[in-house]
Amino acid sequence: MKSEELLRLARVLKIPLSKRAIRRSWLIEEILLEFERREPETAQARKLHSPAIQIEHLEKRFGSKVAVRDLELKVNPGEIVGLVGPNGAGKTTTLRILTGIIKPTRGAVKVNGFNMFSETVKAKHCIGYIPEKPTCYPSLTAREYIMFMSRIYDVPPEIALVRMRKYVDVFQLDEFLDAYIGTLSKGNLQRVLIVGIFVRNPPYVLALDEPIYGLDPRGAWNLKALIKRLRSEGSAVLISTHILEVAAELCDRFVIMNEGDVVGRGTLDTLLQYHKDARNLEEVFLGLTGGIPQ
Amino acid sequence: MKSRMYQLLWTEVRMLVNQFKQTITTPSMLFFYCVTVFGIFFVSMVVSSMLTLTPVFLQLGSVLEDIIDRGMLFAAIGLLSASSVVSGFFGLGPASGLTSIQENILLPAPVLPYQVFISNYVRRIVRRIVFVFLGMLAVLPLLTEANLLFFNASFLIMCFILLLETNYFLGAISSYIRIKIEQRTRSRLRFMVAALLGGITLLPVLPEFTSTFSLAFLVPSNAFTMVLTEMTGLFSLDISFIIGFELQFIVYMIAFLFTANICNYDYYEQFSLAKGRDESEGNFSRFARGEVDFSNTRFRDPMVWIMLKDFYTRLRSPFQIWKYVYVVAGTIFVVYLNVFRPEWFRSIQIPANLAFAIVPAFLLMMILLIQMSSVTSMLSFADEKENVYLLKASPFKTRDIVLAKFLLSLFEVGIAVIPACGLLIYILRIEGYLALITLAAPLTILFTAIGIAVGAYVPVLTNDPRTLPVPLAFSYPIINLSLGALMIAIVALFADSQNILEILPLYTISLTVLFLGIAAKAMNSYL
Ligand SMILES: Nc1ncnc2c1ncn2[C@@H]1O[C@H](COP(=O)(O)OP(=O)(O)OP(=O)(O)O)[C@@H](O)[C@H]1O
Ligand SMILES: [Mg+2]
Repeated sequence: MKSEELLRLARVLKIPLSKRAIRRSWLIEEILLEFERREPETAQARKLHSPAIQIEHLEKRFGSKVAVRDLELKVNPGEIVGLVGPNGAGKTTTLRILTGIIKPTRGAVKVNGFNMFSETVKAKHCIGYIPEKPTCYPSLTAREYIMFMSRIYDVPPEIALVRMRKYVDVFQLDEFLDAYIGTLSKGNLQRVLIVGIFVRNPPYVLALDEPIYGLDPRGAWNLKALIKRLRSEGSAVLISTHILEVAAELCDRFVIMNEGDVVGRGTLDTLLQYHKDARNLEEVFLGLTGGIPQ
Repeated sequence: MKSRMYQLLWTEVRMLVNQFKQTITTPSMLFFYCVTVFGIFFVSMVVSSMLTLTPVFLQLGSVLEDIIDRGMLFAAIGLLSASSVVSGFFGLGPASGLTSIQENILLPAPVLPYQVFISNYVRRIVRRIVFVFLGMLAVLPLLTEANLLFFNASFLIMCFILLLETNYFLGAISSYIRIKIEQRTRSRLRFMVAALLGGITLLPVLPEFTSTFSLAFLVPSNAFTMVLTEMTGLFSLDISFIIGFELQFIVYMIAFLFTANICNYDYYEQFSLAKGRDESEGNFSRFARGEVDFSNTRFRDPMVWIMLKDFYTRLRSPFQIWKYVYVVAGTIFVVYLNVFRPEWFRSIQIPANLAFAIVPAFLLMMILLIQMSSVTSMLSFADEKENVYLLKASPFKTRDIVLAKFLLSLFEVGIAVIPACGLLIYILRIEGYLALITLAAPLTILFTAIGIAVGAYVPVLTNDPRTLPVPLAFSYPIINLSLGALMIAIVALFADSQNILEILPLYTISLTVLFLGIAAKAMNSYL
């Protein structure tokens, strides 16, 4: 961490800097202490409504094409639910409706107890979204973008700075913090978007559309570890992915979609029980969505 | 809530500042900006020294008063508003300002649609003001030469922009009406509403309302025309033009606030639907679409494949079909005009004392018309979007790709130039100099080649091959204008000598080859 940033952090955190000579190690220690003093108080202060995500009788048509048909889905706090299905199954459409980007043709969506269509701003305030194709303002720097997100989600600047520092370290973004987002590689852009989500106040309600895709093994590992930790801290995560090993490792429950319909749901065990001839999630998946190729 | 609005605005401004910083620290971008600004400055200096404009402008007023009447002026400007209302009805309204970046970041964020709209709009207007300012600086020599006061000219342009912006809001309101109607009925009759709205906009421009100062001047197009007439003294009513400006500004603010108020989540929906359409294909073009089967083709030349591919992908955009309709109908129309010289559409009678200015004006118009038609050539690489990298990675020679783009663009530009030039020779009769129109051919070839070169540079300057960087887009007409003017100077210089038959083709061909070479070089140095 650069000395200027240390000083800036210290100033925002109101750590007294009255001593003439400040040792670097002392300052880092003070800041870390202050981090811990601030983080838990915000984390414990809030608890999510149960269920954190509630989708009821959801239907979406594009013209005559039905992208999602009569979808029911619940995600409780402290739970990771995997949304899997072949290309064009309607996963992205579901997540876009859940985050309020598009409206459903029929059905209701509630986030943290707020209805997405009558209490839109409150509902949107609670949900974090990683889009399928990562895009971001090319002429902002990563730091500016992250701070912008923190302001939009009402995070006090000092807490935002602390959190930014924490997650920037987790995702090794330090050297890109002042680079223009337009110049970042795809994976680094994805990391910036992820940090942009985590500067908000936990616990989180997350809608992640193939978040692992594009990250390198270390980034992917960090993200998985982080998501698991967040689950234990009471966040609710709905994650769409094609990588079934990741899904099997990460998710508590699955919803398998095919051409807009839910074709299977439940934990890995119940799915395996139900489909006797399948040995793993991959075979369940293939069996449910068009048969296992020979 | 207030602070979110503030954050959005602040970020938009931040982005503009960053873009500016990026521009002045990127040498190639800066280079194109300088080419543009100094190019315009230079061209306008040359033009202003060549034409003595002052007498033209002094007499223009009386000439115009002879040719058109007050009602026509109001109607012409009213048509601008009416066309924005009609096209706005079919358009996206405020959703047209959204981007997929905002879709992913702001649409899921706890901000209200009107906040997104306002921050978008502020960015748009700041950019516009900066560009207009730069443009005004660049044409300063022309303005001073014409004895137009800088203030007056800037003021008129500002009012015109105000009119265009108000028209944009009118279009947005009109699109809101469509959305409301479509929520009630899907009957075909709803399209009648577009014509109805257009008619309503045109109603107050009738001479019955505009011949004296009345409430009808609250209509933006009337208010602008009033600024125009009172400022120039043309058909003046002897009222201060400031009143016209005040009316314009009040209505602009009302329209702005109104549009902000009608922004709601429906526009998000509109945007993503339009994006879905954009990624598939237009409704209208489906019937005209042909299939190309590359597996079973007579041609063995990759150049022809690229041309066929481009031709058929273009055919899938509705705009392209309208263009062909325009070309066919326009050509028939100008042939009819030139052959029959109908009474109801008279060419402009140039007073004898202005005849000296008409040949340069004719040439300038010709260059500008060809310039406008040749913009498609600049877009031929941008149209490829990200596929341009695919094209580059495919086993074609760069030369073949560039030539294919050039030949197809030449065809597109050529057919678009025909009706424009036909109309020009009909309206501006330059008896005795008609042969000058043949210059259209070398100009078209040259401009198309320049367009290809400029377009090929887009992926060199940015890593977003879809959008032309502003300086690049602006430097295109400037390069055209300079080289076009040079061509005409050469023709004027050698007009009496036989050598012109060698010099002109040599000039055209060597420059064309040069620019195609630059395009090929650009393709080999993508970011
Ligand atoms: N804006 C749109 N307009 C028309 N059709 C759409 C639109 N968006 C999605 N669709 C259609 O809805 C269906 C579901 O698409 P969706 O993007 O949700 O699939 P997905 O499950 O995310 O697939 P993938 O695994 O490829 O990401 C597809 O058939 C798609 O063509
Ligand atoms: Mg998807």
